Amino acid sequence: MISPAHNAKADQLFSYVQERCLWQFFSRTWDRKENIEGICNAASEMLTGKQPPRHTPMEKLFYADALVMVSDFRQRFPWIESENPSHIHEILGVLKEKLVDISITNSKNHELSHSLY
Amino acid sequence: MPMVLLECDKDIPEREKHIYLKVDGEDTRDFLPVSNAQTIPGTLSERGCAFCGAKLVIGGVLKDTIQMIHGPIGCAYDTWHTKRYPTDNGHFNMKYVWSTDMKESHIVFGGEKRLEKSINEAFDEMPEIKRMFVYTTCPTALIGDDIKAVAKKIMQERPDVDIFTVECPGFAGVSQSKGHHVLNIGWINEKVGTLEPTITSEYTMNFIGDFNIQGDTQLLNQYWDKLGIQVIAHFTGNGTYDDLRCMHRAQLNVVNCARSSGYIANELKKQYGIPRLDIDSWGFSYMEEAIRKICAFFGIEDRGEKLIAEENAKWKGKLDWYKERLKGSKMAIWTGGPRLWHWTKSVEDDLGVQVVAMSSKFGHQEDFEKVIARGQAGTYYIDDGNELEFFEIIDRVRPDVIFTGPRVGELVKKLHIPYVNGHGYHNGPYMGFEGFVNLARDMYNAVHNPLLKLAATDIRVKEVVAYSEAAE
Repeated sequence: MISPAHNAKADQLFSYVQERCLWQFFSRTWDRKENIEGICNAASEMLTGKQPPRHTPMEKLFYADALVMVSDFRQRFPWIESENPSHIHEILGVLKEKLVDISITNSKNHELSHSLY
Repeated sequence: MPMVLLECDKDIPEREKHIYLKVDGEDTRDFLPVSNAQTIPGTLSERGCAFCGAKLVIGGVLKDTIQMIHGPIGCAYDTWHTKRYPTDNGHFNMKYVWSTDMKESHIVFGGEKRLEKSINEAFDEMPEIKRMFVYTTCPTALIGDDIKAVAKKIMQERPDVDIFTVECPGFAGVSQSKGHHVLNIGWINEKVGTLEPTITSEYTMNFIGDFNIQGDTQLLNQYWDKLGIQVIAHFTGNGTYDDLRCMHRAQLNVVNCARSSGYIANELKKQYGIPRLDIDSWGFSYMEEAIRKICAFFGIEDRGEKLIAEENAKWKGKLDWYKERLKGSKMAIWTGGPRLWHWTKSVEDDLGVQVVAMSSKFGHQEDFEKVIARGQAGTYYIDDGNELEFFEIIDRVRPDVIFTGPRVGELVKKLHIPYVNGHGYHNGPYMGFEGFVNLARDMYNAVHNPLLKLAATDIRVKEVVAYSEAAE
């Protein structure tokens, strides 16, 4: 069970992502899932002092998107610097859930699950 | 009641599902306008046709390709020269227009022979041009002319030419959006991978969904050149037919207009494993972000920071001058679809302008997800708006300036509201750092121009004055 304080922090990050990030709005469910998972995981690594992998083309893409997002997180939400790694993982985990909820699970976009592009 | 039934729509209440007024605390899980749906009978849509989406928006941009339109002459004229996409080879695409000029007898007896003759004639007249797009239109699709067979025959007879066929008549979809789709999917399936590029850099990308409106592509290309990134294909601003056949060799697809061109980026990812990076190219903050992301992908972050610093040194002062004078202005955006979400935050953040109403002709629900996430509460979000709705929305939000096309623009000028050409621009380019200063300048000139306000003043005096003749 996430604490209300962490949930509120995840809400702040969620508002930022909604406003700034086009990757959550890709054409199909599978693209959105892949982006949310990949970019939030890379961001989690960066925020806990690790280097996310940059070997495959998709890893490089996630790194690029996460790098800008993390830089903005640090600038806009100074509290993020003082969170310990387990809290960071927890908050970013909630962020992922919120993004999946709005852009996939409860999205009213009828084209999301079309089998073709 | 965030979905809005306007007074002018009381006899077509279905329109309520297409007009949304955002309220604080709501998001796209609560409301999302219906879009990319058939226009409702009774509303006078301002949409284009599916053929137009393929030809005018994407194919007709190419600088080395004959655009043969197999249909009546009007289909050619109405999709020619109404966009401003110059090229660096003398604007070949804007100088010429080609049509098979179908008449009644060709409709009755079939138009394939006429198409074959027209294709040969065009190649004979322009021997330096070896590439062609052929489009069906409504009548030639209805009579079943097989344009692929004709193209195949000619390619056998003239081995030095290459022809791409676009079978997307005007009635194929609910708007021009269908034409974007058909051309994207046709191109990836038939032409990508049929030619190998010359690689000149260790960093390669395709730049997708930018049509060189008043030089956008050429401006952005200065950045890519400075960064040492080779653009294998521009889809399709200032682009060439053969470059587009080489798209499979890029390491990254950078997408600006996700609506018109997201399909090919998706397919390039699926078929060739090339990642898709969506960016915004209008606005300082967005452009900086885009450069940072592209450079981070290639591991050349230092080059990106240097470029951003140089461009800010050149242009930021000018932008701030306009920002100081535009702050608090109210803007409406009535364009195709993506510019709504590209612009709403960039004008707010970079210019202090508040976007109060936005209308999209052909956006899908994906576009409305983006724009509602980025746009303000208290703003109207409209799908497939019509003139009467625009009048009513104007009364509600009183914009200081409207970014839209010339047709709607002339209409709002009669209400003494300035407009800036949101499709072809007034004095672009508008992308990149320099471009956004151009946009700010055009907005400033529109908002602060006293002429429209003076034109609204009735200077006639009530009584008729009898002027004396000079001779009296």
